Amino acid sequence: MKDFTLALKWALAGTVAIAGLTGCGPADSGSGSGSSEKIQLAYITNGIDPFWDTAAAGVRDAEKEFDVECEVVMPPDGSTDQKRLLEAILARGVDGIAISPTDADNQVAMINDACRVTNVITHDSDAPDSDRICFIGMENYKAGREAGKLVKEALPEGGEIMLFVGRLEQLNSQQRRQGIIDELLDRPAQSLDNLEQDPVGKPIEGDKYTILDTRTDNFAYERAKSNAEDAISAYPNLKGMVGLFAYNAPACLEAVKGAGKVGEIQIVSFDEQDNTLQGIIDGSIHGTVSQQPYEYGYHSVRILAGLARDDKSVLPESGFLEIPIVTVKKDNVESFWKELKELQGKGKAAQDSEETEEAE
Amino acid sequence: MKKILGILGLLIFVCVFTAIKSPSFLSAYNMENTLRWTSLFGVISIGVAFVIITGGIDLSIGSVIGLSGTTLAYTLSVKGWSPYLVIPMILICSMCIGLFHGLLITRLKLQPFVVTLCGLLLYRGISRYITNDQSQGFGSGFQGLRQLAVGKVAIPFVEGFMIPVPCFLLLGIAIVAGIFLNSTIYGRYLLALGRNEMAAKYSGIQTERMTLLAYVVCSTLAGLGGILFALDVNSVQPAGLGEFYELYAIAAAVLGGCSLRGGEGSILGVIIGAAVLRVLYNAINILRIPTHLEFAIIGSVILAGVIVDELVKRYAARRRAIRSASQE
Repeated sequence: MKDFTLALKWALAGTVAIAGLTGCGPADSGSGSGSSEKIQLAYITNGIDPFWDTAAAGVRDAEKEFDVECEVVMPPDGSTDQKRLLEAILARGVDGIAISPTDADNQVAMINDACRVTNVITHDSDAPDSDRICFIGMENYKAGREAGKLVKEALPEGGEIMLFVGRLEQLNSQQRRQGIIDELLDRPAQSLDNLEQDPVGKPIEGDKYTILDTRTDNFAYERAKSNAEDAISAYPNLKGMVGLFAYNAPACLEAVKGAGKVGEIQIVSFDEQDNTLQGIIDGSIHGTVSQQPYEYGYHSVRILAGLARDDKSVLPESGFLEIPIVTVKKDNVESFWKELKELQGKGKAAQDSEETEEAE
Repeated sequence: MKKILGILGLLIFVCVFTAIKSPSFLSAYNMENTLRWTSLFGVISIGVAFVIITGGIDLSIGSVIGLSGTTLAYTLSVKGWSPYLVIPMILICSMCIGLFHGLLITRLKLQPFVVTLCGLLLYRGISRYITNDQSQGFGSGFQGLRQLAVGKVAIPFVEGFMIPVPCFLLLGIAIVAGIFLNSTIYGRYLLALGRNEMAAKYSGIQTERMTLLAYVVCSTLAGLGGILFALDVNSVQPAGLGEFYELYAIAAAVLGGCSLRGGEGSILGVIIGAAVLRVLYNAINILRIPTHLEFAIIGSVILAGVIVDELVKRYAARRRAIRSASQE
């Protein structure tokens, strides 16, 4: 028994030592030998999702093209995690950071802290009040209006609509939501600086369309599915569901299939998960608004690499690089999917080879 | 039986209240969904009940669910292995996880809290490492296998309402667990060990073996739960699947009459406990209460239920005391 305890102690000590060593590994290579000459960048997402895998593919491509190294960081638990990971990256020292803030209003101080020591840009979701250098993304409000148009196409007669989203604290989900609502209620386009938002939790009624509610799931897939199921139960006249985050529409589709209401309830999606695209091919999802995450990754690295080399010409003039939205419907889904697979495959191969290099 | 009356009352109260407020609560579709979710959570809650009965705790359940669900999706969809190989493999691995916990706790005398807390971190890390943190899914494949979680069985002569397949799994597990706990000598051992480990040991019970068994049962059921959750949702997030489920499972077990001090517990109570949690989540959506209020409501309803239960018990005890005093 004693021997066993002793062995375990040694094993523990060994593990701690190894963990310590590997822990400092990247930091050492960052300042010391060989590969350290390369510019080090970090690309921080707002969570884990296939959406970000596509973005990572863009990062990998740009890494090669602009001869830099960029770590893709996906915080598993939202904003607290984002802060922790950002602090770790800053402590290690990098030449530029691209971040998708989970809670723009309350992360201004955090982003400004980072701005003091390195170049910071935002992608996907902006933090306009911070000192970030520029923003790469789409106009989420515009994308919301596009999704609203898809709903109008799918349900020309009008009807009751439910919205589903991971979190509503994020600027991009707020803007998307408001875009959908404004489009369905035929309101004029709003200015983003002063976005007036309809309150959550109360039905918003227009002439033809009623937006019943917006349910959040905190990025938990099974909550997304049970929220969709409960909405089908609670609203017998439900005609449409819009999933504001990539995984929401597939979760809605699972619920609609379970209820045997495919075709009866129309689904409109954002982004391009495999299940969404398959749903569009099968006709169970009407369409999706895609934001080309590959471009986010690619341009983030391109701009940060330029800034690190003191090349200001890489910056977009207005401080906003708009990546155009792509609307995917039955007629263009197959070519879109084929291209997406090629991009992801390319990015994945690059990432894998990088990992084996690291292992060596 | 008396112990679970309180929680049963709470379940009935929430159901009746929701049904009166919104008739769609009783619709076949909603009942099927609620039954399915209750069954999925019931399976993992029965597992943790075994551990709690011995006076231990298992915090690693959520991560074991995550590991098992992730492995399932990864090996089936990415590696293309056969489900006949993968499912037994996952269940055996889950068993080994339980065995590992049990050995550390009984042989090395480590605290269950520490062992399983480290397990929580370890298994989550492994799932994320295996899959490179990428979401896994079954796409539109494995429809046959997915029936284990999303399938429904028609009841003869009943139109419209079908029983979700996980209900049968839960029923099977509950019956075996119930018989084991209440009608076998080993069940008695388990309860005795939870009540007073020293006393049980001196009475000749091999307490270590029983504790080991409890952790193995718990992790195996968590592994099974992981398979079912993954098949149900069809898309698995290595960092997210099963997060905090240990708390739901422990809450269901404790609400259902298991004492965290050990030595008490009923399988029926645990299932009712799991049902209360699921019905509350469902009711909040059905009654159109904003999502951001959900935690506040679940917390306060359960707390109120437990307080009422305790007061009723005290009142009954006092009346009994008065009655027996007056008889003398």
